[in-house]
Amino acid sequence: MHLLLIVAAFLCSGTVEARKVRGISSSYKRFYRERKSFLCIDGSKMIPFEQVNDDYCDCADGSDEPGTSACPRGRFYCTNLGFRPHYIPSSRVNDGVCDCCDASDEYNSHTRCQNTCWNLGQKERAYVEGQMRTLDEGLRLKQRLIEEGVLLWREKQAQLRELQQAAEDLQVKLEEHRRRKHEADQLKEQTIKSLEVGKDGFRPQNTSVTSLFQLLDNNKDGSISVDEVKAKVVLVHDEKRVLSEDEALVLLGGGREMDLTKFRHTLWDILTRGDNVKIKDGAPGGPANEDPHLKEADRAAEWEATSLRKVEEAYETVNMEISDLQKKLDIDYGTDWEFLFLSGQCYKLQVYEYNYTLCPFNQVTQKSTTGTEVSLGMWGMWAGPPKNHYSQMVYENGEPCWQGGSRTTTVTLTCGTETGLRSAKEPSKCQYIMDFQTPVACQPVLKQRGVHSEL
Amino acid sequence: MATFTERMAPVLVLWLAVCLSGTWAVDRGNFKTCDQSSFCKRQRALKPGESPYRALLETMELTNTRLTLQLINDNNKVRLLLELYRLQGNITRVKINELKPLKPRYEVPDVLVREPPTEPLSVLSQDENGVVLSLGAESQRVIVSARPFRLDIMEGHDVLMSLNSRGLLAFEHLRMRKDTFSYKVTSTVASVWDNIKRVFSSQAEPEAENKEEADSANQAETAKEEEEKVEEGMWEETFKSHSDSKPNGPSAVSLDFSLPGVEHVYGIPEHADTLRLKTTDNGDPYRLYNLDVFQYELYNPMALYGAVPVMLAHNTKRTTGIFWLNAAETWVDISSNTAGKTVFGKMLDYVQGSSETPQTDVRWISESGIIDVFLMLGPTPKDVFSQYASLTGTQSFPPLSSLGYHQCRWNYNDQEDVRSVDAGFDEHDIPYDFIWLDIEHTDGKRYFTWDPHKFATPKEMLQGLLEKKRKMVAIVDPHIKVDSNYKIHNEIRSRGFYVKNKDGGDYEGWCWPGSAGYPDFTRADMRAWWASMFAYDQYEGTMENLYTWNDMNEPSVFNGPEVTMHKDAMHGSWEHREVHNLYGLYVHRATAEGLIQRSGGVERPFVLTRAFFAGSQRYGAVWTGDNAAEWDHLKISIPMCLSLGLVGISFCGADVGGFFKSPSSELLVRWYQTGAYQPFFRAHAHLDTPRREPWLFGPENTALIREAVRQRYTFLPYWYQLFYQAYRTGEPVMRPLWVEYPQDPATFAVDDEFLIGRDLLAHPVTEEGSRGVTAYLPGKDEFWFDIHTFQKHNGAQNLYIPVTMSSIPVFQRGGSIIPRKLRVRRSSTCMENDPYTLFVALNTRRSAEGELYIDDGHTFNYEKKEFIHRKLSFANNVLSSVNLAPDAQFTTKSWVERVVILGASKPGKITLKTADGEESQLDFEFDASMSVLTIRKPGMNAGEDWKITLK
Repeated sequence: MHLLLIVAAFLCSGTVEARKVRGISSSYKRFYRERKSFLCIDGSKMIPFEQVNDDYCDCADGSDEPGTSACPRGRFYCTNLGFRPHYIPSSRVNDGVCDCCDASDEYNSHTRCQNTCWNLGQKERAYVEGQMRTLDEGLRLKQRLIEEGVLLWREKQAQLRELQQAAEDLQVKLEEHRRRKHEADQLKEQTIKSLEVGKDGFRPQNTSVTSLFQLLDNNKDGSISVDEVKAKVVLVHDEKRVLSEDEALVLLGGGREMDLTKFRHTLWDILTRGDNVKIKDGAPGGPANEDPHLKEADRAAEWEATSLRKVEEAYETVNMEISDLQKKLDIDYGTDWEFLFLSGQCYKLQVYEYNYTLCPFNQVTQKSTTGTEVSLGMWGMWAGPPKNHYSQMVYENGEPCWQGGSRTTTVTLTCGTETGLRSAKEPSKCQYIMDFQTPVACQPVLKQRGVHSEL
Repeated sequence: MATFTERMAPVLVLWLAVCLSGTWAVDRGNFKTCDQSSFCKRQRALKPGESPYRALLETMELTNTRLTLQLINDNNKVRLLLELYRLQGNITRVKINELKPLKPRYEVPDVLVREPPTEPLSVLSQDENGVVLSLGAESQRVIVSARPFRLDIMEGHDVLMSLNSRGLLAFEHLRMRKDTFSYKVTSTVASVWDNIKRVFSSQAEPEAENKEEADSANQAETAKEEEEKVEEGMWEETFKSHSDSKPNGPSAVSLDFSLPGVEHVYGIPEHADTLRLKTTDNGDPYRLYNLDVFQYELYNPMALYGAVPVMLAHNTKRTTGIFWLNAAETWVDISSNTAGKTVFGKMLDYVQGSSETPQTDVRWISESGIIDVFLMLGPTPKDVFSQYASLTGTQSFPPLSSLGYHQCRWNYNDQEDVRSVDAGFDEHDIPYDFIWLDIEHTDGKRYFTWDPHKFATPKEMLQGLLEKKRKMVAIVDPHIKVDSNYKIHNEIRSRGFYVKNKDGGDYEGWCWPGSAGYPDFTRADMRAWWASMFAYDQYEGTMENLYTWNDMNEPSVFNGPEVTMHKDAMHGSWEHREVHNLYGLYVHRATAEGLIQRSGGVERPFVLTRAFFAGSQRYGAVWTGDNAAEWDHLKISIPMCLSLGLVGISFCGADVGGFFKSPSSELLVRWYQTGAYQPFFRAHAHLDTPRREPWLFGPENTALIREAVRQRYTFLPYWYQLFYQAYRTGEPVMRPLWVEYPQDPATFAVDDEFLIGRDLLAHPVTEEGSRGVTAYLPGKDEFWFDIHTFQKHNGAQNLYIPVTMSSIPVFQRGGSIIPRKLRVRRSSTCMENDPYTLFVALNTRRSAEGELYIDDGHTFNYEKKEFIHRKLSFANNVLSSVNLAPDAQFTTKSWVERVVILGASKPGKITLKTADGEESQLDFEFDASMSVLTIRKPGMNAGEDWKITLK
């Protein structure tokens, strides 16, 4: 009962004061102490106190009319008990629109305003609590994401190092293989050269006479028979035709067989000259290929080339991976790499007839229900204000627009417990804005804001 | 359904890109020159000389109010009927039609507010050369000369105007096409009929018959000869890929007017040209043909969206006007015998006395219809305004809120967008009254509908605006999507309300929705049906704070000739050719009537139109169409709206900021500053331009724009009073200087500054990087007070005014009292009960006069005498308010909070005497440096009698 009286008295005095000097906050009360005269707050003019709030503007700064609409630059203080107090421009006093939730701005108008401060306050408090919860949760999640980010960053760094190590190893291997290939190539070349020396009219080396003889001597009996000639020797101008018995006999100097000594002086010459007959193509080894050294050198060179190609490919792949990774790691993922986890993710949102996809640090696209997909921009940069650099992303150089320029998307990051696209709009042609919610956008500073209820 | 539009959109864009070349300039090739318009070419080929027309004086008949007389063309013997009327208010009407047209020729309906009341005519003298008729008082006479035919209107010894003095009267009579079978049959039948008639008539008037017979024989012979000369384009005409079938053949009419002593002519909007019309000898005539011109060019005579065939002629002695009532394609040639002479040359002429009288010759050419011309004989500019108003009516009295600021864009995308733009105005403390929705708000360009996703709950949105005492405008265009699932289309089709093509089917053209039909607004039953569609239960989602915008009503037909309707399309039995320039007026009218009807006739409508004709002022506001964000477009907004004001259309504005392209922040600010002082104040922007709400250009520019808009709102009582005056008298709200200073030739060509009413002179800054402007302050005995600094300047001088970005050079005339409301709020409706500040600017005689008009601001109750209209005057140190309308009744809560007297001296004391006889002393302040006396809080009700005495 006692308390009630005190409260009643308090309220009473409050209203009395409000009637006297309407529209001021308690911190300004000292300027409006009831005296004979009133000094405009800017000190520009002294007026009788009756002219305070008399619905005529005397002070250039509007300070004599805090409770009326008389001054163009004036402001009215909504106490808004139970909610948040705030100033409104004097022009909103008695304009028929309810601006203060305590209805104090419409004290002389047709409009009946309800006092909605308590409801608003409750809603606001619930909202703020929700926000706080979101923020707490968000910050907790953010911490985890930061930790994960750091790990991920390390992992990526390790991956990079591994790749770089692999690249280095491959580099060494590559050099080794290049050297080996070079050597093999050289050997092959030498072999060919020495073979070519024989071909060019100098006496062919014994080995080659012997090897050709051996090639012809299919049954390895030490002499070449008619059948053996027929099997391996063809006419230069008619390779398809098998030689006749007589022709083979001619080549064998009239006899049915020929030994190495005779071969060296007769058939060898004919075959190496090669203007009438030759060894049948496809027969294993011509005079050159047949050379086992060359064959060896050739095989070796080919082997080395293949190995080198494989190493080169591996090296290229690794280098590409490195540059990809480096490009990714060059992106600014926040001070604690907290945005790193977004890399490689994509988020979708349907707005009216369009499907928007945001792949952070990569690109933004829009797909209409009719199916055409349009690029709304490629990752550009962080574009938040200096104080909150990581609050906005810009994606640029999307699909060109009809009237010039190209599509650009600005993504604003807001604090939330989940990560996802919240809205996508095109306020001007080809200029898109998106709201992207994620815990990593939560800032501890937000926590300091709240509802002040002045009593 | 939405998917269909989705599919159509790219097609349309592609089509536009191809058709409009995608460049940032008008494709002139899309529009005809005079040479490409066969009748213009034919008519213009006729050179001044002796007219082949002769007045047959013996056919003259004079009743009390009407003179008729036959004219004969000596070349082809075709007879015309001349009718001459003397109309009340010093207007002479001349009508010329074929005496016996093959079929009736179109006479424009629905433009005149009534059959104009006539005055008696009398014959003063008559001989074989002509007749002299008295035009009532003021010693005015009409001389009808017989051979050749001409009309001269005289006052005393002065010729005011001559018709056919250059012999350019031409009247293409309707004829049968010679090379067709039907012609041969019909002409035979016709001659049979003629013979029969002749037999009958010969019994009655044997004498007349002989003459007639001779004539008709003669006529038949020469006519034959004449009609051999079938010129190209007479019976069909092709422009680009479009062919005009012209089943009625040639039907053009043309007449010349000479204006002795006249060097300045104005009017015939709409053209993007100077206020003073130029001579057209070295180029095309001014064209009047309502067209949707994509990115129009400035300073040329090409046709634009609207047409008002009214020209004003002015010299220091007299103002006259010519109203050529014809709704077909029209071209106007202007020549002058002084054009091209330098000022020095003119002076030399004067000194040597060798000068011929300056004279302007004008020639009107229309494709069809009749000659029906009203000669408005002044003599003052205001007389001409009231003469024209007596014929076509005055500006409709708009709702007060529509004089506030309008925020538009193609497009505000959804309800959330509207909400956030609305909130932006509150956040930045910029007042506005209307937010606008362009075509994208509809469900697939089906007018009278809302996009079901983006504007799912329009009433909720409108309610939100209503709570802030704000309003909305949504677009309703006259092209109707051909879609059997669309109610509006089905109804129009089933009622047979569509315009028909030449083959009798529904005319279809291509416009925003794709294939579209065009309702025949020339039909009264169609207009009534259309109006009924605005009822709240028909047009779903609408409320009383939703108003309408008619765009594309030229009509615009993307795939039609010159982006409009084919001339051989049919409106009932009339070709589109005859009614073309009227179409937009009818759309505007039907829509305005719809808005009136939905409120049971209580609320005033607000409808904006792009196309217009003579009389469109009765239905609402117009704007200058799709301009561009360029400095020259800002400049041209002044002469374009001045020209419209001169011909009755006061509620005019240009898109603030420019529709196409993107303005620099400097241009945008200057445009707001200019638009704030023009009648219709709306910002608008093309779909492809970046956002440009006033707060998007940094705090400094936001502050500059806020200030410009706030200045507008402080002057709303004055604007409203001027619109009331325009509604009552037809006087333009935005006026050229010469209207108020008709004897000062220095004002005659001024179009970079203008008057608002009589008492405010605005010279907005329209140059980039300007550091100063030179304003001409007219009037030898006038004072002009800077409305911002209250500095006093003398009249009849060119005043250099240094400017910064915040400067809007505006002056209040000494001798005027302007009521203002200085408590600028978030919308005009919020300011309804606010007190007034009276700005009293004293003249050389230390006196001033003004008016104050107050009503409820939105209903037609002012017609029931529910308003306050007071005369405010200051003389002999007494400022008083006297009732100008004692029979009117209205109460207001508004009071007078302040009186500011400019050019005052310091009084000893000031007393107020109110209606109840009480006297009280008032506080005041006196600023000696500027001679400004501010009277503190007199407090009397604005609607009552009172008297303030300075002692």
